[in-house]
Amino acid sequence: MNTEARLQRAKEILAPFARETLTPEANRVDVVIDAADLTKATAALKSADWGYLSAITGMDLGPDAGQLEALYHFCDAAAVTSLRVRLPREGQPEIDSVADQVPVASFYERELSEMLGVTVVGTPDPTHLFLPDDWPDGVFPIRRDFKIEDAAPVERDTPKVPEQGRMGNKFIVPIGPQHPALKEPGHFEFAVDGEIITGARMRLGYVHRGIEKATEQRNWIQNLYLLERICGICSHTHTSAYAQGAEKLAQVEVPMRAQAIRELVAGLERIHSHLLWLGVAAHEAGFDTLFMYSWRDRETVMSLLEELTGNRVNYSISILGGVKQDIGLEQSRSIHKAMDYLEERIRYYLDVVTSDAMFLQRTRGIGTMSRDEAILYGALGPTARASGLERDVRVDAPYGAYPKFPVSLITDERGDLEAKFVVRLKELLVSCFTIRTIVDNLPTGELAVRFPRKVPAGETVSRVEAPRGEAFYFIKSEGGESPTRLKIRTPSLCNWTSVLNKAVGHQLADVPMMIAGMDPCFSCNDRMVTVRRKDDSQTMTWAQLRAYGIEKYKSR
Amino acid sequence: METILAITSIMFFPAGISLILGGMLYEWADRKLVARFQNRIGPRWFQPLADTIKLISKEEIQPLGVNQALFFGLPIVALAGALTAALYVPIFGLQPAHSFPGDLIVTLYLLSLLTMCTGLAGWNSDSRFSIVGATRTLTQLFAYEAPFLLALLGPAMAADSWQISKIVAYTQTHWMIVLQPVGFVIALIGLMGKLELPPFDAPEAETEIVAGALTEYSGRGLALFHIGKSVEMVIGVTLVTAFYLGGLGNPLIFLAKTLGLLLVMAFLQSVLVRLRIDQTVGMWWRAGAILALLQILALIVLK
Repeated sequence: MNTEARLQRAKEILAPFARETLTPEANRVDVVIDAADLTKATAALKSADWGYLSAITGMDLGPDAGQLEALYHFCDAAAVTSLRVRLPREGQPEIDSVADQVPVASFYERELSEMLGVTVVGTPDPTHLFLPDDWPDGVFPIRRDFKIEDAAPVERDTPKVPEQGRMGNKFIVPIGPQHPALKEPGHFEFAVDGEIITGARMRLGYVHRGIEKATEQRNWIQNLYLLERICGICSHTHTSAYAQGAEKLAQVEVPMRAQAIRELVAGLERIHSHLLWLGVAAHEAGFDTLFMYSWRDRETVMSLLEELTGNRVNYSISILGGVKQDIGLEQSRSIHKAMDYLEERIRYYLDVVTSDAMFLQRTRGIGTMSRDEAILYGALGPTARASGLERDVRVDAPYGAYPKFPVSLITDERGDLEAKFVVRLKELLVSCFTIRTIVDNLPTGELAVRFPRKVPAGETVSRVEAPRGEAFYFIKSEGGESPTRLKIRTPSLCNWTSVLNKAVGHQLADVPMMIAGMDPCFSCNDRMVTVRRKDDSQTMTWAQLRAYGIEKYKSR
Repeated sequence: METILAITSIMFFPAGISLILGGMLYEWADRKLVARFQNRIGPRWFQPLADTIKLISKEEIQPLGVNQALFFGLPIVALAGALTAALYVPIFGLQPAHSFPGDLIVTLYLLSLLTMCTGLAGWNSDSRFSIVGATRTLTQLFAYEAPFLLALLGPAMAADSWQISKIVAYTQTHWMIVLQPVGFVIALIGLMGKLELPPFDAPEAETEIVAGALTEYSGRGLALFHIGKSVEMVIGVTLVTAFYLGGLGNPLIFLAKTLGLLLVMAFLQSVLVRLRIDQTVGMWWRAGAILALLQILALIVLK
């Protein structure tokens, strides 16, 4: 079925509820519905098996329009259907929860209600997901009239330390925000009965930086560098997704050579990300030798990235309208050399994870997620593909240079931790192959074209396959120098539901590996608001910090 | 004169300071070997000593809701148990300082004291990580203890004595690794379980329960437990070497043998993956205990 047919089908399914149907882009359809029809429309899409809920964008149309908008984006291959629900801005805007049909929506709904002030009726967990516990009531950062002064923290008697003590054989094992298993802050509470998990909860937002809000105050070019810093592991994913969206809005045609170089860097990024993951996952299992070896080999790709782009982490290869650096003869030679080494090592690791009997004891049959569960929980990326769910934006909706340099889809039917290792390692072999193909057949042409300072009004959806799954960007421009609304939904957020649901019934010892199995990235989960406490000496402005540093240096 | 000798043997040699320093060297050798196997550089030779000095000089934090006497007493008892055990063992290939019929059993129980203290310390700490860690420590103790004991019983039965010095005299002429290979493997792996080395490090699996039973320990208490553990390593390696690898002989050769054993242990540590606690227990009772029993049975029948 092609994209038009899919969109046509979506229109038919949603026809009973549609107030208005728009086609903003060739692969998108926007259906305006009443808030009361939302659950029915979701159910209709779900029963027709049309795509999956990819993100919910909350938008404030401003005090003049007096309306809020919640956009429920459903994706089916390249087709995107958005259910557009308009809500009154004043009073108490309410919307029904769809979390009972789409469990992953629980996170999106929590975000929607805390960021935009929409009460989601019937959502399983109405507490804060990203904002701090001492965030004042009735202050919603994504609203247009939000002022940072309103966000002064309020005192609440929420218990800061989880309750201590024993309750028979059962107790809650808190993992995080600081815990040796977590390299980044997140908080999980696992209720355990002996060694068996009986319940799981999570809390995010410890490193929320307010990036979505910050993009509204920066111009199009500045945002590229801001968004690159969402995540150190998949920085190129975010610049690609953003640049692709902005270029679509600005109607800029990016030269093929630039697209190919972007895909090449994305491939290298995937290699470094998956090798990093391999090490972390092995460490969670207590297999430190594999950890050390895979991180040693990861240095090859890091050095290569440095050679190609000048940076190891935030490569900054993309600019709006193209790429910054070219790949010459010398670089292509080093790429081939590095690929020779990496391919050999990856084959070796593939052999280790599928044949080491003791390692298999920890991975085979652990955390098995069936294809149906993967669909239900909205899993993405390698987590979904390891359950046999064929979901990969690079294949379903090829963007950039992917039509010219396609990648093959790797899936595994088993759905356990072993399958996750196998899928990721095989993907690396595919990436190596694609990188070689691109280097040998690099299209000729310009590296970049001019990008305008102001971007014409419009809305666009940009989807990119990150190493962890689909990254979803929704960008709205009103013709100005900066975007009006930029919504980011990162892949880690979607995969949490599957882990939290699958953890119950497993042993505590398996949990770190199961969490690692989805390759969580907290920095891509958390993007939000910093609270500046006026009389808190621990927080300093940049100028204060600078003055403090100079003072300290002088008094040495 | 007798008393002075006894005090010297406890305080300086063979137990006491020399044993503690020896334990640190063994610990360093183990860490360095594992690091080289993992393609890392590893610590410098004085790292365990530096760690200990640092820990002793640090503040000791006592968590709320613990029994104070137990909290401070347990590390001392643990270390004392390990040091006392050393008196009956041919440390560094020298004859044991003290010896009496049946000292093998006493030594093994003194060695278990450390594990019991660790478990109790975790249970006393009133922290969730400690409690889970303590449960795992004690569960694991019940898993490896019986097979380990049976594995050391093999040479004892062959030598017809429960006295370490007599067994060692017998093994001097009989290489038990050849006569009882099953026992050697079980003793070696049991020792790794006793020392909570990978793959038996579930009780202190940092990715799940931070540092297990000792999570709440800091400063002096932690240092004492660490010293106790390295002392236990020396004693364990010494016992297995003396029983299975041709007795004492020349101290230098004996030292080389223990280092060889350490090399094997470091290799196993780096290639094996941590077992879950249920897998550990299952493995020991399904394979370890039965194999050890079979060997004992064979010994009885053949004798």
